[in-house]
Amino acid sequence: MADSALPENLRYLIEEFNRSGLRELHIRRGDFELLLSHTDHAPSAPAASRRPASPPPQQAPQAQAPAAPPPAEQIADGLPEGTVAIAAPNLGTFYRSPKPGAAPYVEVGQRIEQGAELCLIEVMKLFTTVRSEVSGTVEAVLVEDTAMVEAGQALFAVRAD
Amino acid sequence: MAIKRLFVANRGEIALRVVKAAQALNIETVVAVSDADRESAAAKMADRAVVLGPASAAKSYLDPRLVVHAARESGCDGLHPGYGFLSERAILPRLCEDHGIAFVGPRPDVIEALGDKLQARAMASAAGVPLVPGSENIASGADARREGDRIGYPVLLKAAAGGGGRGMVIANNGDEAEAGFQRASAEAEAAFGDGTMFMERFVPEARHVEVQLMGDGQGKVLHFGERDCSVQRRYQKLIEEAPCAAMSDELRAKLHKSAIDLAASVNYRNAGTAEFLFDVQRQEFYFIEVNARIQVEHPVSEMISSFDLVQEQIRIAGGAGLSVGQDDVVLSGHAIECRINAEDAARDFAPSPGRITRWDAPTGEGIRLDSHMAEGAMIPPFYDSMVGKLIAHGKDRAEAIDRLVGAIDDFVIEGVPTTLGLQRAIATHPDFVANTIHTRWLEQVVLPQFGKDAA
Repeated sequence: MADSALPENLRYLIEEFNRSGLRELHIRRGDFELLLSHTDHAPSAPAASRRPASPPPQQAPQAQAPAAPPPAEQIADGLPEGTVAIAAPNLGTFYRSPKPGAAPYVEVGQRIEQGAELCLIEVMKLFTTVRSEVSGTVEAVLVEDTAMVEAGQALFAVRAD
Repeated sequence: MAIKRLFVANRGEIALRVVKAAQALNIETVVAVSDADRESAAAKMADRAVVLGPASAAKSYLDPRLVVHAARESGCDGLHPGYGFLSERAILPRLCEDHGIAFVGPRPDVIEALGDKLQARAMASAAGVPLVPGSENIASGADARREGDRIGYPVLLKAAAGGGGRGMVIANNGDEAEAGFQRASAEAEAAFGDGTMFMERFVPEARHVEVQLMGDGQGKVLHFGERDCSVQRRYQKLIEEAPCAAMSDELRAKLHKSAIDLAASVNYRNAGTAEFLFDVQRQEFYFIEVNARIQVEHPVSEMISSFDLVQEQIRIAGGAGLSVGQDDVVLSGHAIECRINAEDAARDFAPSPGRITRWDAPTGEGIRLDSHMAEGAMIPPFYDSMVGKLIAHGKDRAEAIDRLVGAIDDFVIEGVPTTLGLQRAIATHPDFVANTIHTRWLEQVVLPQFGKDAA
């Protein structure tokens, strides 16, 4: 199928997929099926040229643009092998401690449960708590305390259980 | 103090336009992007791009605290809001002031006052700027006839408590005004429990004209001529030109003076536009509103004045004041702009985001293109679908039209449908060439026929 014949939302999805660091994405919805994969030995055809089982709807409503994958999985570079990144949900100032002078929420080597508080992101005195999406061990803190971080930037590397 | 590092709080072509203007002034730039705009042309050209948040505008471009936080933390001492998004929200300049960042735009109190239509009308009236002639409340048919005679027909009778078109009547003479009042007043009484009416002059074939202004914030205001933006679909402008060729020089001088008087009365700072309804038959104009920002169509004013309005904006925000006087603003020739949107004319102009697979842009004498697009570029589905602005300048309107049509014919865009086909049909239409159009002309005359001939 020619690239230009794909509905726009589908092409956007492929672009997001390529950027996401995800290895494989499988969507099934009614009689529409899509597999995107970077795995060389996958039994399927290469990602972008895989034909849907039936023609996708011609006028996919815009509101159905695929949600971006979770930020944590967008950052694959520079992470210790086998760890996952906990990323900033938005731009802001990174604080490792609940208040100045207090001990950091977490230290390298510490065991954490899913949902554990890891840090604060501050925007104009509004503080957002970032929590771990996985249970595991903190392998690295990737940002200096009080530095500005951007949306999607990796903050912690966690080795999941 | 002159701005050293400018934060660009916008996206698309205007973000790129601001980056280029800042670079021409040797000012560093930081562009704010959402996750969907990481690879934008502005992000690539700027010294730095910072990712504010996810694609959703509410969580990125539309969050004033996030924007100003990013500006401050990236060491910026100036912020340009572009147009749309937060550009006319007073909270943005307020936060900038709180954090020592120079806002490239008007003061927050002025933005607030002008953003309130009633307050803006009162300010215009106080500055001696003409408003649409109208009445006080009308309580009887006899009142309606008397007021109609005074204002001049046709008039529009509206319910004071009204809205949604109910209780609205157009009257072409005294008898119609009296009869119309009885009917509309009864309708309003039934609909709103209040039969009180008022009346405004109705302009069936009006043009939309607007004056480009630039103020130093101390009471000195310059104009850079007027624009005619009468080619509209659902109040969206498709083609803008400068000057307004349908206006006499005498009236034009009055128009410029009115706009300047209004802006000077509030010590207007930075770029703004005063919009007017132009009644061609009567050769009169009436104030509509002020847009307290740089507008999409500012390039046509730049083309006839040879000024870079965005650079001027940045200099003023840096405290330099106006670089010239009114006598230095010499207007010459005629310029026309097409606002090119990725929209599908065959599907009632539905926005059609997607990837540009081919982009061969026209060049030539008098041709300018303001665009952030290129082959392979993506129009994300989250924002407006404008892909650029094609501007043609010529020694007169006829030459500008010729050049514009030639440039449209040379322009190849593939991958997404665009409005260029419609804009070609407009620019070659006999009414447009003869310049006898008005704000409802596109919808009444062109669109019913458009696409049918080719089919």
